Amino acid sequence: MTHQSKSAVAFIAIGLLIYAGLYFAAEQLMYRNGHSNPFFKIATATTKDFDWVILGASHAMPLDFSDFNNQMQNQTGLKIINLASPGTGPLYNRFVLEAFVKEHSVKNVLYIADSFAFYSRVWNEDRFSDSKMLRATPLTQNTMELLWRYCWSDGVDPRSFLDYLTGFSKINNRDRFQKDVWEGELQFDRVYRSSASAIKSRISYLFPSSDREAAMARYIAQFGKLSDTARQQNVRVVVIKMPAPAAFRAALPNEKAFDEALRGTLAARGIDLRDFSGELDEPRFYFDTDHLNRAGVSELFARYLKALLMEP
Amino acid sequence: MIFTSLEFFVFLPLTLLVFAVVDARWRCTWLLLASCVFYSAGHEVYLVYLGSVTVTAYVLGWGIERAAGGRRVALLTVGIVGLAGSLLAFKFYDFAAGEIERLIDATLAGRSFSLPRLGVASPAGYSFYVFSALSYLIDIYLRNVSGEQRAVNVALYLAFFPKILAGPIERAPAFLSQLGNRFSWNSANTVLALQLIVWGLFKKVVIADNLAPLVDRNFAIAAFAAPLELLISVYFFAFQIYCDFSGYTDIAIGVALLFGIRLMDNFRRPYLSRSTAEFWSDRWHISLAHWFRDYLYIPMGGSRAGRLRQYFNVMLVFVVSGLWHAGLGYGVGWGFLIWGVLNGTYQWISLATRGLWGRLGEAMPAVRGSAWLTILRILLTFHLITFAWIFFRAKSIGDALTVIRKIAVNLAEFPALIFRYPFTAEHAMGASLIALLLAVEVLDERLPIAQRLAAAPVPVRWGAYYFVIFGLLILGRWQAKEFIYMQF
Repeated sequence: MTHQSKSAVAFIAIGLLIYAGLYFAAEQLMYRNGHSNPFFKIATATTKDFDWVILGASHAMPLDFSDFNNQMQNQTGLKIINLASPGTGPLYNRFVLEAFVKEHSVKNVLYIADSFAFYSRVWNEDRFSDSKMLRATPLTQNTMELLWRYCWSDGVDPRSFLDYLTGFSKINNRDRFQKDVWEGELQFDRVYRSSASAIKSRISYLFPSSDREAAMARYIAQFGKLSDTARQQNVRVVVIKMPAPAAFRAALPNEKAFDEALRGTLAARGIDLRDFSGELDEPRFYFDTDHLNRAGVSELFARYLKALLMEP
Repeated sequence: MIFTSLEFFVFLPLTLLVFAVVDARWRCTWLLLASCVFYSAGHEVYLVYLGSVTVTAYVLGWGIERAAGGRRVALLTVGIVGLAGSLLAFKFYDFAAGEIERLIDATLAGRSFSLPRLGVASPAGYSFYVFSALSYLIDIYLRNVSGEQRAVNVALYLAFFPKILAGPIERAPAFLSQLGNRFSWNSANTVLALQLIVWGLFKKVVIADNLAPLVDRNFAIAAFAAPLELLISVYFFAFQIYCDFSGYTDIAIGVALLFGIRLMDNFRRPYLSRSTAEFWSDRWHISLAHWFRDYLYIPMGGSRAGRLRQYFNVMLVFVVSGLWHAGLGYGVGWGFLIWGVLNGTYQWISLATRGLWGRLGEAMPAVRGSAWLTILRILLTFHLITFAWIFFRAKSIGDALTVIRKIAVNLAEFPALIFRYPFTAEHAMGASLIALLLAVEVLDERLPIAQRLAAAPVPVRWGAYYFVIFGLLILGRWQAKEFIYMQF
C-alpha cells in the first residue's frame, strides 16, 4: 500500500468515525426532542397492548394535542395511541400500522379518512421522503426492513431508505434543538375566523394533483390493503370522517365520488363508516380552516367519539 | 441534473470510472454521451436545443474555415444572427409581445390586441452554450482555431457537462487543444479538484442557500418588510449570488479537472475589488467579461476609437450584459437593463475621474499606499455593486425603488436600531457564514488556500477538510434550489 493510499484510508476512517459520532448524537437529540412522530410514539410507548390505534392525517392529530389523548383514556378506561401524522394518506398510514403491529398488539383501528389524502402521491409515496418525518423517526431494524419493502414493492423513492439508513435528515436537521411539535398543536386553543381566501388556498394546497380519478383508485386500494393488514391481526377497523366547517366542505372537489368509492370498499370488507363531517359547523370549534380546536375535539368526543370508542 | 443532487453523486463516479477504463480514443465520445445524459436528465427536449446549436456551430464553422472573402463574412453573419437571434427570441419575445400589447392597448384606449406567444422558456444553460458557439465561430473567422474539428470534439466543447449549465464560457482554442492530451491520473490535480468541489458545495448549499430564505422572504414583500430587514437582505443577497454562482464554478472547474480538463477561472474574490472596473474586468464572471471584451468591446473599437466612442462602447457592453442576465432567474424585466446601465455609469465615472485619482495619488503617495485607503476603496466598491444588485434581485423596478426608499428614509435610525433589534438565529447564522467566507477570501488573496493547505501539517489540513465536509452535512440545505445562474 502506498503512502497516499494509507493516507486516504486513514482520512476516510476518521471521517466515518466522526460521522458515527454525529449520527449517535443526532439520534439522542431526536429522542430528547421527539413528540408527535408516529414512529417515535411506537418506539417510546410504555404499554404493549392497546385498545385503539388512531390513524389518519392532520385532522386526526388534535385528538392527541396537549393532553387530550390522556383525557380520552381516563374517561373511557381504554388504552389509546394516536399515530396520525400531517399530510399522510393510506399508504403511509399502512406503513405506520405495520410497524406498530410488529411491536405491539391492538384490538381496534380508528381510521380518520380525508379525501385529499386519497388524491395524490404527494400525501402518500412522497411523504416517505419528507425530511421532517425522517428526522423524527428512530432508527430500528423493524422500520428499516419495512421501509426497504415499501421502496421495493410500493413505489416509494429508494432515497428515503438511504436517508433513513444514513441518518442524513437527523444530522442535517436545522431544528435539531427544537421539540418535534407540529405547528397545529401550538394553535390548539385558538378560535378561527372564517376566510374564503384561506379556504381557497388550503384547498389548492391539499389537492395538487390533476389526475385525481386514477390516484383515488390507487389509494382506495391502498386503504383496502391497510384494512387487510388489520384483519390479519384480528383488528377491527372503524372509519370516520371528521367534522369540517360547511364552507370548507363545500370547497372540497370530488367529495361525492370519494365517499362513494370509500363506501364501496368498506362495504366489501364489512367496515363501518361514521360520517361526522356535517357536525360541528360553528367556527368556534376550529383553530384554522379545517382542524378542530380543543373545544371542537371535546365536543366531538362528548357527543360521538366516546360512545364509539366504548362500543363492544 | 444539478451538482447538489444525489443523482449527480452517483453519476459522477460512474462517469469517471468508465472514463478511466475506456480506450483513450473513445474518451471524448464517452464524455459527450455522459454530458447528454447529464443535460437531458428529466428534460429530454433540451437535447433538441443543444443539438441544433451544435449542428449550426459545426456546419457553419466548417464552412467559414473553407470559404474565402465575402462568403466567410456571410457565413459568420448567418451564425451570429441565427444563434443570437434564437437567444433573444427565447429570452425576450414573450416579454416584448406583452409589453407591445400593453402599449397598444393603452394607446387604443381599451381595444384588445394580442400577439402570438412562443410559450417556451429557454432551456437551462442556453445562454452559456450559445455564447460558446458564437465564440467558436468568431474564433474560426479570426483564425484562432481551425473549423475542421472532429464533430465529437465540437459537440463536447458545447456540451461538456461540468460547464454546460452555468459556464465558465470556455474558449474553443483552450478547450479543444486539451482534448488531444493523453489523460493521466495525477494526485495533485485530484486533491485540487476535490478541494474545489467541496468548497464549491459549501459556498452553494451552506452559505448561499442559508442566506436565500431571508432574502426571498423580504424581497417578496418589499413594501411590508421592515427597513432593517431589507438592508440585511440586500447585503445577504450580494453574498448569496456570489456564493451561488462561484460555488457552481468551483464545482465545475473541480469536476472538469477530474477528467484532466482545465477550465478558465471565473471568479477571483470579487468583493475584494478596489474599483468597479477591477470587479467587472478581473474578478466577477471573468469568462463573460472577457467574452464581451473580445467579441463586442474590442470589435466596436474599444478604447482606440476616441473618448466618446469608448464611453459608448462601455455602456453598450453593460447594457448587453444586463440583457443577457435577464431571464428565468428573477424574471425578464426592465430591472436588468437598469442594473446594466448603473454598472455602465460606474465605469463612466471611473473613466472620467481616472486622471484625477492618478494626480491625487502622485501628490499624496503615502495615502495612495495606505491600507486604510485600500479598505475604503474595497468598501466603496462593494457598496456600489451591492446597490446595483437591488435592481437585479427585485421583482420590478418599482420594488427596487421601494427597497431603496425604505432603506434611505430609515438610514439614520439604523445605528440605534441595531442594538435593540430582535435578531434571530437566521441573522446570526447568515452573518457568521459571511464572516467565514470573507476570512477565507482574505487569506486566499494573500496566498492561495490550496498552497496554504499543502504546506500545513496534516492535522490542520485534515481538520480544515473535516470542518468543511461536516459543515456541508450539518448546515447544508440540500433540499433547496437550483443554481441561480443556470436559469439565465
